[in-house]
Amino acid sequence: MPAVMEATRNTFDDIVRPQTPARLRLWTGLVIGAAGTLLLSLALVMSQVQEQVRIIGTEATPRAVAAADLYFALSDLDAQVTRMLLAGDADETASSRIDALARYKERGRQADADLRALTSPDAAVAGIYVVDLTDGLAVYRQRVGQAMTAQELAGGEQPAGRPAAGALGHYTQATNLLHQRLLPDAQKLLDESRRELDEAYADKRSTESAATAVAVLLGGTLLALLVFLQVWLARRFRRLLNPALLTATGLSLLLLVTSALVLGAQERRLAEARDAGLTPYLELARLRAVGYDASADTSRYLVSANLDRYRKDFDAKAATLAGGVGRVAGPEAERRWQAYQKVHERITGLADRGRTAEAVGALTGIRRGDAAFDFAYYDAAVAAAGEDRRAGFDRALRTAELTLTGWVTLPVVTFVLVALLVLAGVRKRLAEYR
Amino acid sequence: MRRAFPAMVAVLALVAGCDGARPPEPPAIACAAGSVSGQGSSAQTGAVNAWIQNYQIACAQAAIEYASTGSGAGVRAFLAGTGDFAGTDTPLSAAEQKRAEARCGGTAVHLPLVTGPIAFVYNVAGVDALHLTPATLAGIFSGKVTVWNDPVIAADNPYASLPATRIQPVHRSDSSGTTDTFTRYLTAQAGKAWAHGSGGTWRAPGGIGQRGSHRAAAAVARTEGAIGYVEASYARVNDLPVAWLGDQQRGFAAPSDYATGRAIESARITDDLRLELDPGNGAYPLVTVTYQVVCQAGAGEATRGFLAYAASAAGQSAAAYAGSVPLPESLRARVADAVAGLR
Repeated sequence: MPAVMEATRNTFDDIVRPQTPARLRLWTGLVIGAAGTLLLSLALVMSQVQEQVRIIGTEATPRAVAAADLYFALSDLDAQVTRMLLAGDADETASSRIDALARYKERGRQADADLRALTSPDAAVAGIYVVDLTDGLAVYRQRVGQAMTAQELAGGEQPAGRPAAGALGHYTQATNLLHQRLLPDAQKLLDESRRELDEAYADKRSTESAATAVAVLLGGTLLALLVFLQVWLARRFRRLLNPALLTATGLSLLLLVTSALVLGAQERRLAEARDAGLTPYLELARLRAVGYDASADTSRYLVSANLDRYRKDFDAKAATLAGGVGRVAGPEAERRWQAYQKVHERITGLADRGRTAEAVGALTGIRRGDAAFDFAYYDAAVAAAGEDRRAGFDRALRTAELTLTGWVTLPVVTFVLVALLVLAGVRKRLAEYR
Repeated sequence: MRRAFPAMVAVLALVAGCDGARPPEPPAIACAAGSVSGQGSSAQTGAVNAWIQNYQIACAQAAIEYASTGSGAGVRAFLAGTGDFAGTDTPLSAAEQKRAEARCGGTAVHLPLVTGPIAFVYNVAGVDALHLTPATLAGIFSGKVTVWNDPVIAADNPYASLPATRIQPVHRSDSSGTTDTFTRYLTAQAGKAWAHGSGGTWRAPGGIGQRGSHRAAAAVARTEGAIGYVEASYARVNDLPVAWLGDQQRGFAAPSDYATGRAIESARITDDLRLELDPGNGAYPLVTVTYQVVCQAGAGEATRGFLAYAASAAGQSAAAYAGSVPLPESLRARVADAVAGLR
């Protein structure tokens, strides 16, 4: 044991000995050690940032999008059921009925797919809502099936806009279930997914802060050591510049500046993308859902034989849209929504005067000024604005991912180069003492 | 270093504030101001409504209307000078063509724009796949084959376990293009097994008559042992099983988009774009082709723009979404050329 302690002491003495070769080895070792610590730490935090961007892109954002899509799919599901009921058994509404049935099936599949996408062992809170929604959706479909069977059994007795009493009873249960249980649960899922998304962004921001601290502290130390070694060599060996050390200093500085730029720009771009792309997209998806639900209220007013509740529901949803559509989707979308509101008022007016067939015609028609077209016209503007925002976010996300590609390898490669350059820079000076 | 390269490129792009390349924009619809009206076949209502909606959304100055009056009424109205185009499930006869040319003061063009198979939907316990030849169909719909385990059906389906359930054939009680296409098929393919001729009105005795495809589909869905014919989109949205048609020599095909496309691709196409179907291997033999009949000269700008959209790849996608089968690309390009030739 004393022999080991003796050997250790001798080695330490050799290193810290004030003689030039020992000092040269000490400074070289410190520079390479600092470079290794900095660049490997940088590689690690960059890898962490990459992982967090991946989580935002492939987990948190798709879940938020699926939650928004689920809310939309459920809203339109009930709107299509209302269309089917409204079309009744009449020949003139046959194409509207088959179109509504096809869309009902499509929205059902869409809701199922969204619920699958929202199922995750990591999201326990969301899991409870997913189970409740899956169960509730099964009951909803059962009620819709009962309503359609009742309608079919009533046969040609029921004209468009006047569903059979049994059908209306089952439909009322279905639409109540959707509005009182399923949509509120879907809203909770949406809130939960937004919280997860905010958390993912916050995690990334704190890792980026750590990365910046690493770059400033360790990078500053490395640069100081490199400059010191350069000055020390110049004084001790009477040479003005050591090209290899100069290159190593430049390379380290370049990497530090570039990594700071990348982190900063990537953070800015992703934050902007969220504020200008994803957040408005999610808001637009919700407004679209409210719009579909509101347009279904026009139909619900008819099929319920002018129940005032549905007129009030429409007014409440219209108030929500009046504030949001223009702000998020632009003035053209707002103008188109106002046009639809006028059609709604015309149709409810016709229904109030007992002109149900005329009201159904105005509701299902696709001429300009008919409800089905005017709503599709409005919805196209909102959907286009939403797609534009979504595409902007997707592009920014891809750019951020591309920006970070290679940032685990790059610091390691730079470390190897810096180490080789430092060794090359001191090799000849050390050789002078052999 | 190879992995680091994209980072360097992206850094430059990011610092310079550039996004990744934007995807190419879809080709814009060529808009024209004005109003267009058409009438005719109800089989294409879904596709035409989808076109109208999309065209009017894209073109704020256009107003399009289509009345589903049925092919016969639509053609008669067109010949009488009503509307800009007529939709018909059968091409104009020689006499109608002559009258159409008189109305147009020149050539009347056929544009096959909507196609779709007619499906045989059934409701038979334990049967999930069913093959039927024209002769067997003729036997079933003329009331000669009355139970599902009849040797005639068993011969078409050697591996199926067929029950002794009574067959309940469902036909259309109203005059329809679907009935016309089906009975023409039986007349051409079933030989002596079908003795009731062809036409839009059902002539064979017995069976359950239903007005409209939706009622025919609903009747099959609620009746054990039933079989009926409907546009394939009704089978799809009602989740009803469909039979494969054909024979032992050429094989059997389901009413899928692929087999329908094969039938259209193998059709003989005349210079004026009338299709003469002669389904070969892998093709579904019972396909409805709906034509738009329009005047070659004098069609308004909005009519030309609307039909050009219908004949475009985007228009065909919209029609497919509405339940029809998109035209094969070679035929679509010919139809688009014909539309471009309208003046």
